[in-house]
Amino acid sequence: MLALLSPWLIGFFVFILYPIANSLYWSFTVKRYGQPARWVGLGNYRLLLDNPDLALALKNTVYLALVGLPIRLLIAILCASLLARPRRGNGAYRLMFYVPSVVPAVASGALFFFLLKQGGPIASGLDLFGVEAPLWFRDPAWAKPALIMVGTWALGDVMLIFLAGIVDIPRSLYEAIELDGAGRWARFRHVTLPMISPVIFFTLLTGMIGVLQSFDQAFVFSQAVRKGRLTGEPDGSLLTYAMLQLRYFQDGRIGIASAMAWVMFLITLLITGAMLASRRRWVHTAAGDQ
Amino acid sequence: MGESMPADVEPRRPPLRQRETRPRRFLLLVARHAVLIGLALMFALPLLFMVLQSLMPISQAKTTAMWPSHFEWGNYREVFDRVPLATYFVNTLKVCALATIGTVVSCVPVAYAFSHLQWRGRTAVFVLVLSTMMLPYQVLFVSQYEIFTSLGWINSILPLTVPAFFADAFSIFLLRQFFLTLPPDVLAAARVDGAGEFGVLARVVVPMAKPGIMAVAIFQFLFSWSDFFGPNIYLADERSLTLAVGLVRLNTALAKTGESNLTMAASVAFVVPILFVFFFAQKVFIEGVTLTGTKG
Repeated sequence: MLALLSPWLIGFFVFILYPIANSLYWSFTVKRYGQPARWVGLGNYRLLLDNPDLALALKNTVYLALVGLPIRLLIAILCASLLARPRRGNGAYRLMFYVPSVVPAVASGALFFFLLKQGGPIASGLDLFGVEAPLWFRDPAWAKPALIMVGTWALGDVMLIFLAGIVDIPRSLYEAIELDGAGRWARFRHVTLPMISPVIFFTLLTGMIGVLQSFDQAFVFSQAVRKGRLTGEPDGSLLTYAMLQLRYFQDGRIGIASAMAWVMFLITLLITGAMLASRRRWVHTAAGDQ
Repeated sequence: MGESMPADVEPRRPPLRQRETRPRRFLLLVARHAVLIGLALMFALPLLFMVLQSLMPISQAKTTAMWPSHFEWGNYREVFDRVPLATYFVNTLKVCALATIGTVVSCVPVAYAFSHLQWRGRTAVFVLVLSTMMLPYQVLFVSQYEIFTSLGWINSILPLTVPAFFADAFSIFLLRQFFLTLPPDVLAAARVDGAGEFGVLARVVVPMAKPGIMAVAIFQFLFSWSDFFGPNIYLADERSLTLAVGLVRLNTALAKTGESNLTMAASVAFVVPILFVFFFAQKVFIEGVTLTGTKG
């Protein structure tokens, strides 16, 4: 048994447990690579607590979680429910909806930087309707919506997961509610939604953790706006939590970067715990389910 | 949303049919396709614009034109001349190949131990494995970086490939899902014939679970191909970069000059191999994504 498990066991200790423990220790120290750590107690955490950049990064990340994630999941559910029943042409639609999600994040970042630029295709498209396009990458109010747009474009993987969930719903449930004269909305609200609530739970949880890590496209955008330090241009509107941590890392302030890692670890635990606790209230469990 | 209803599939479902008259059904059909075509355009158009822009002559690329006046295939040659894209390709392929091999070799035995073998504490350990899936990479890299520095691995592909040989939670989970679909009787029969656990694994499980192993391999390949955060930390030397890092640097550099045609040419070169893998292995791929969402 140990022989079979050994790859994971070794990896767990060397690449997961040790780094977590190590960064916990470093988070209480002033540390630079190649130098011994000097104990400062809660100093790093205190520094983070009244750091305006951390507040900004948290605000941006929460925005992405509360605005971006629901948009992405809602449109994914809409797409999945449009394509759930086998009908002619659905295979082709499914493929087209899915393909963007295999495009690497940095490539879709570069792509949308081009699409959204001044005089770019999206601005020209809006112009046709007489709408003036915002300056996506100059205006701090529009940079995060641009980020959310790319994320929503690549919703294919979530859509497939919802699709599988919807296809698995026993038909008899729909028949039962139709006998009661339920319309489309009622069918969706009282059968589809509760039946896929475990899938919603799963995608919300993994989505939240994904948002906490969001970095690639924010980096592509903000570096294209102004190359250099990781400040999340324009005006810090794209400064994500992961970007700020990387900044401390690159500045060699490993103690603070470690403290940020630990705060992230705790936030992840909190989100997971809170979601698991709320699960009983809104996630439907069928008999035999765990 | 009405598509979640079953009425259209089986002709003998009465209630809805009776209510929905022919013209109404026709209108619904049109409305449904209108929505679907609209969505399809939103998903497909960006990729089309990417290709079109990559073929635009520079004089036009800086204007609002959407369609190239002529197809400037030379853009592709130019972008390969300007940045060492060919070297990036080779580096990326090396990372992908090694990481994929590592993932498969290390995860297959672990997933087997979690699917067809009974042992004390299995559930608890499996929960531990799953919980590591939730861990953001940002939590780990600060300390991993020091390990790799002390080994002298910076500027090499080792930090991006060696960890793959130590089984990651996501691949274990996915493989286990596939392994669980194998009939236990067949494995039991092999054991009766005197095969040890490694024998059963090599001679029975692996051949039967090929689609699952393919799925895990493809996911790892795509992850390594797309990964930016790791290579961005560990690779600094120009000749050591992967495509993802090279593309971001190019995008940053050319954002000022407005040569978006070259950025898009590099993006196409970066994305096309992945699309190729995807279309080639579509079935395996989609089955894999679907299994990610189901509980173990």
